[in-house]
Amino acid sequence: MNEIKKTYKNYVGGKYVRSESGKTFRIELKNEFYEVPLTSRKDIRDAVVAAKKGHTDWQKLSPYNKTQVLYRLSEMLEGNFETYQQLLQDAGLTKAKAKEDIHKAVDSIIWYAGMADKWEQMTGNLNPVAGDFFNISHQESLGVVFTLNSNTQSLNSLLLNMLPALTVGCSVISFNEENSVLALKLAEDINNSDLPGGALNIMSGKFELLIEDISNHVEITAMAIYKEIHNDEKTMIKENASKSLKRIFINPPTMGLEALFPFIETKTVWHPKGR
Amino acid sequence: MNKWEYAESIESSSIVNIEKKYGIFIDGKFQNANSKKFIKTISPSTEEVLSSVSLGNEIDINSAVESAKEGLKIWSKLSGTERAKYLFKLARLIQERSREFAVLETLDGGKPIKESRDFDLPQVAANFFYFAGWADKLDLSWNAKGLKPYGIVGQIIPWNFPLLMLSWKVAPALATGNVVILKPAESTPLTAILFAELCQEVGLPPGVFNLVTGDGSTGAALVKHPDISKIAFTGSTGVGKYIQKETADRDIGLTLELGGKAANIVFNDAAIDQAVEGVVNGIFFNQGHVCCAGSRLVLQEDIHDEFVTKLEKRMQSLRVGNPLDKNTDIGAINSKDQLDKITSLVNEGVEEGGTIFQTDCELPQNGFWFKPTLFTNAQPSYRISREEIFGPVLTTLTFRTPEEAIEISNNTEYGLSAGIWTEKGSKILWTADRLQAGVIWANTFNKFDPSSPFGGYKESGFGREGGRHGLLSYLKVQS
Repeated sequence: MNEIKKTYKNYVGGKYVRSESGKTFRIELKNEFYEVPLTSRKDIRDAVVAAKKGHTDWQKLSPYNKTQVLYRLSEMLEGNFETYQQLLQDAGLTKAKAKEDIHKAVDSIIWYAGMADKWEQMTGNLNPVAGDFFNISHQESLGVVFTLNSNTQSLNSLLLNMLPALTVGCSVISFNEENSVLALKLAEDINNSDLPGGALNIMSGKFELLIEDISNHVEITAMAIYKEIHNDEKTMIKENASKSLKRIFINPPTMGLEALFPFIETKTVWHPKGR
Repeated sequence: MNKWEYAESIESSSIVNIEKKYGIFIDGKFQNANSKKFIKTISPSTEEVLSSVSLGNEIDINSAVESAKEGLKIWSKLSGTERAKYLFKLARLIQERSREFAVLETLDGGKPIKESRDFDLPQVAANFFYFAGWADKLDLSWNAKGLKPYGIVGQIIPWNFPLLMLSWKVAPALATGNVVILKPAESTPLTAILFAELCQEVGLPPGVFNLVTGDGSTGAALVKHPDISKIAFTGSTGVGKYIQKETADRDIGLTLELGGKAANIVFNDAAIDQAVEGVVNGIFFNQGHVCCAGSRLVLQEDIHDEFVTKLEKRMQSLRVGNPLDKNTDIGAINSKDQLDKITSLVNEGVEEGGTIFQTDCELPQNGFWFKPTLFTNAQPSYRISREEIFGPVLTTLTFRTPEEAIEISNNTEYGLSAGIWTEKGSKILWTADRLQAGVIWANTFNKFDPSSPFGGYKESGFGREGGRHGLLSYLKVQS
């Protein structure tokens, strides 16, 4: 007899919550069954409210502080190395591959943690305008970002689909399907990492059931799709996005300065010089 | 004491030579459009017909795309420095013929010669100079891997700054190695046609710059063409949304520079006389046909009466009339359609309960004109406080605290620009951090430069034009 191991909850607004619908779906890993929430439309709306607050609280932390919070997340991951290794092995990875993936995941967090207080120096600059003006362009976070994760059984991929938006100060609603157990496990470490509630929200469900609601939601500023989806789904997302000029990114880069480009807005400020 | 009589000073239009009919510019030469249809372009200050330009159809767009494909073969083989030389040459030629361009712009669009001569044309040349220099330094521009040109870029530009918007689009696109199909606005095609002649003169390889004149249907055909890999559009938010929707089934790049309803915030510690000048420039520049116009005056309550008195006095001195008169401050409204839209929104503002002030100026008999207009006692819910009027109409809202100023200013779906007037440096930075807008002018307004990125937050669009950031609008990041 297979036993049901654990019922996971969504992680929204810094709290573990069940789907308001009460619905779950089952994920099988190595003959074990896990029940994870089947996120509903209402759950998404609630998550956006939480993420809006999360964005306000996260973006106002100093870059130095953001670096430390992200670094702490890597410490949490290291501390739970064996748990992740077991989950990845249950998902079919060899012991060596599982270990390698977790090491890479830790390195990815370290890279982004150190980026949080530097990227603005690489994306912003003084503009040499003709005239007696001080003119500077710097960048701000877009707002609430929905990410559809690649859903490969990889902790590193999972993190690389959240970190670019998070690092620049966006709040993230990370949506997971096949890799939900891994993602909801990660939520426990996120909860212990001092990220403000709502900055990073982890949800599980079936994207195809929510695609209309998510792409129509005007308070989601951007969607980053890191998973291969059907062309008609891409079209639907972009059509709905056009109602509020939502920014849509299909398979954006996950490393390098260019990984941050989708999630930032350039603000340019002018001031005259004079006596 | 006797007042001196006003003496006009008219710029001669003999410098321009406008033909009766124009074709479309494809394969490096002017050709007859397949449509065989023409649209008349008039001078909005006299309603005189200036010329007829081709109404490009789908087949014309197809021809332009074929031409662009050939152009891309040549253009992509040139080194950055070779591309730069063409752009430098264009810049120089624009400077040399700037008076001709300025007069043509004023005739076709109705803007004061003072502005086309002293603002539009110098900026146009500057844009070509600036982006010319980037063409052979793209590898130094960003610490990002795999930046590549899109290929064939479709560009659709508005009627408020016809040649300037051409330069904002064409210069960076060509510098980054793309080729261009440009669709100018229906009511202001003439300076783009003259620009095409310049492209011939500098020997730009055929197909690198293509021009198809026409109306909305021409633009739609361009947007729908499957071989276009990037659309750059400046215009209304409504059309921007249409373009995003229409291109939803394709993997293409989009830059949308759309509408605005900018707040121009005046704090009680501002230098009042300077702020009055800035507010006047912010809304009445180019008849208020400016997407980043400071159309909402957000005024601290305790200086309201003093400020409005000074503002009305200053507005009375604005000279409205013949745009070719070098003394004219406010020219003609660009079209009958636009005049009707402004009139209807202003009438609604009065009906809703706003207090209207208009200057005592006399308006010419022919052409399209609108008096400089100020609304006070307006509520944030009024249409004049929310919708882009795109005319010489300023709406006043008041606030008590800086927090309230931010709330009022950000309470719009737009986020293109904003203004801040205060003598206190820390307050400028505090306010600028909180305003959701892509361009913020502090103790100044409506300043532009090729090196300074321009573009909006929220429903004012996405992507930037100008500066190092403007390059990213024409370079694809490969994942």
